[in-house]
Amino acid sequence: MTNLLLLLIASATPLLLAVLSELIVERAGLINLGLEGTLLSAAMAGTIALQSSGSLVYAALAAILAGMATCSLFGLLTIFFEADQIVTGTALNLIAIGVTSVIYRARLHAGLHFNVTRDFGDPIEQFLPENLQWIDPVIVFAWIVVPVSFSILLWHTSIGLRLRAAGEYPAALTSVGMSAAGLRWVALLIQGSLAGIAGAYLAINLSAGFAENMTAGRGYIALAIVILGRWSVKGAILGAALFGLTTVLQYHLQASTLGAPYQLMLALPYLLTLVVLAGFAGRVRQPAFLGRALPPGK
Amino acid sequence: MKRGIPALLSAAAGIALLTSIAALVGIQPLTFLSSLLDGSVGNLTALEASAVKAIPLCFTALSVIVAFRGGVWNIGAEGQFLAGAIASCFVSLQLTGGLHNQLLALLAGAAGGGLWAAVAAWLKVRRGAPEVLSTILLNFVAIYLLGFLVNGPMREMRGQYPQSDMLEGSSFLPLLHGQLHAGLFILLLSVVAVGLTLSRTRWGLRLRAIGVNVNAARYSGIHVEREIFRAFVFSGALAGLGGSVELLGVTHRLYERFSSGFGYSGIAVALLAQLSPAAALFSAFFFGALRSAGGELQRSQGLSAGIATLSEGVVIVLLLTFGSARLLKSRETMIERGGHS
Repeated sequence: MTNLLLLLIASATPLLLAVLSELIVERAGLINLGLEGTLLSAAMAGTIALQSSGSLVYAALAAILAGMATCSLFGLLTIFFEADQIVTGTALNLIAIGVTSVIYRARLHAGLHFNVTRDFGDPIEQFLPENLQWIDPVIVFAWIVVPVSFSILLWHTSIGLRLRAAGEYPAALTSVGMSAAGLRWVALLIQGSLAGIAGAYLAINLSAGFAENMTAGRGYIALAIVILGRWSVKGAILGAALFGLTTVLQYHLQASTLGAPYQLMLALPYLLTLVVLAGFAGRVRQPAFLGRALPPGK
Repeated sequence: MKRGIPALLSAAAGIALLTSIAALVGIQPLTFLSSLLDGSVGNLTALEASAVKAIPLCFTALSVIVAFRGGVWNIGAEGQFLAGAIASCFVSLQLTGGLHNQLLALLAGAAGGGLWAAVAAWLKVRRGAPEVLSTILLNFVAIYLLGFLVNGPMREMRGQYPQSDMLEGSSFLPLLHGQLHAGLFILLLSVVAVGLTLSRTRWGLRLRAIGVNVNAARYSGIHVEREIFRAFVFSGALAGLGGSVELLGVTHRLYERFSSGFGYSGIAVALLAQLSPAAALFSAFFFGALRSAGGELQRSQGLSAGIATLSEGVVIVLLLTFGSARLLKSRETMIERGGHS
């Protein structure tokens, strides 16, 4: 039971980080569909950095940089060029899938592989009680540090208030001489670093290194969870845990003889999100300026 | 014609960027460009392959064009494409072949795609759910539904692989030349139909009016919700028809990874075509050729076929940055996204 719970928590960790990263930009009025691509490029950067340096710290740094770079490209297009956010996000995902697969093949061609050898055990076995000598710092970071600091930052500080204003009513910021664009940039850089760690964790701790298209839609799932959790930190945690639960159950159903129904179960969280989106489970209110370009003068 | 210039420049810049990326991974620019040409239009077989890849891309692009022209942000062509293929496969497996059964299968495809889109349309119009999110969610539901079907109820009789039974040979779309199938004619008909509907019918005019300025459209007496619902269903039906054509013309059976991102790529095709149905034919051929050449480059040069995906993203970004502001800048209609604000 403890194993199962730990497996659930670990497998939902990158997802939770991704959800929280999307939560902050959506609160600031940006809907970054490019999260999927951000995770993917961070996963690759983290893997390559770990292989060449052997240090988890460098791997995390490289992944954070890759995440920030991808998010900055999104910011450049949507904030600076005022391009449509949805189309931009879609384009960034296509680019990230393309670039990572080109690098992947090129390295394979040159005889380099993407396997990460870990000295900290098998991804699942490390969570068995006898191997649990230390608590994974990333898990603590994702489930405690970030949620607590987000709750304080967004709802109990003036910068958090302004950040939410950028997503609700940017004109209010302009009227007091603040830059909504600047706040959106801050949110994007936070997203880049969190999504960067998420990508690296996915590749290094939950898989044996980078594989083509390994994020498999987690970025989109994170977007769904943000809605499911109604743009709240508590909702993000519950939503990520719910998706983690279906992942764990899926391992079990896959292993047992019940082959097909697990596919249906995988669809369940999406259906649930649709129900929430439709307002059947109470009123949903998204940030009023979500997905909208800033008015002239920012 | 003037609108075509940024599109051509973006396409050319995209190719230039791909060439430099190929150079970075150690492939000589000339070798790269000649393989690119060889693999896409170099000989008859390559040309056929490019055209075959362009057909589903053009269907999803038409779907995107109808939606985007009406200011509806349907990102769900992927799911509607799959829903169409599933419906079409189901109908086709129930019937014995023949022309009218092919027609029924195609109709089922369009109906399947239209129904799948109708869910998102209903959620938007009646419940105020933003369609960007609902269509993405429905894409995933469609992917898992397909996975369930080919692992469960629709799994082949032999039960060996997670795929459906092969359709009966007589229900295949006839081949025109090599691997090029008669789906090309269905596509051409669809392009004409979409073009005429948008530019020559009252409904098309109302739809475009909504796309340009939803408030002005509403004040001029257009029933915006009804038109948006129709546009959504029409858009989904086009993607579904594409899935059906791909099934009957190319794969002849369903399997888990039936759509290789045709839905998302359709957005790139539609944007490069500046949302013009006729231009989408050329734009789809361009990206189809890149996909076909990408496969060839992967075999001969060890360069990833992902280069085609990359090019789609790069062309969109170039168009967003330098393209015509009318279509691609964040528009006023976007304010209406999410229904009621």
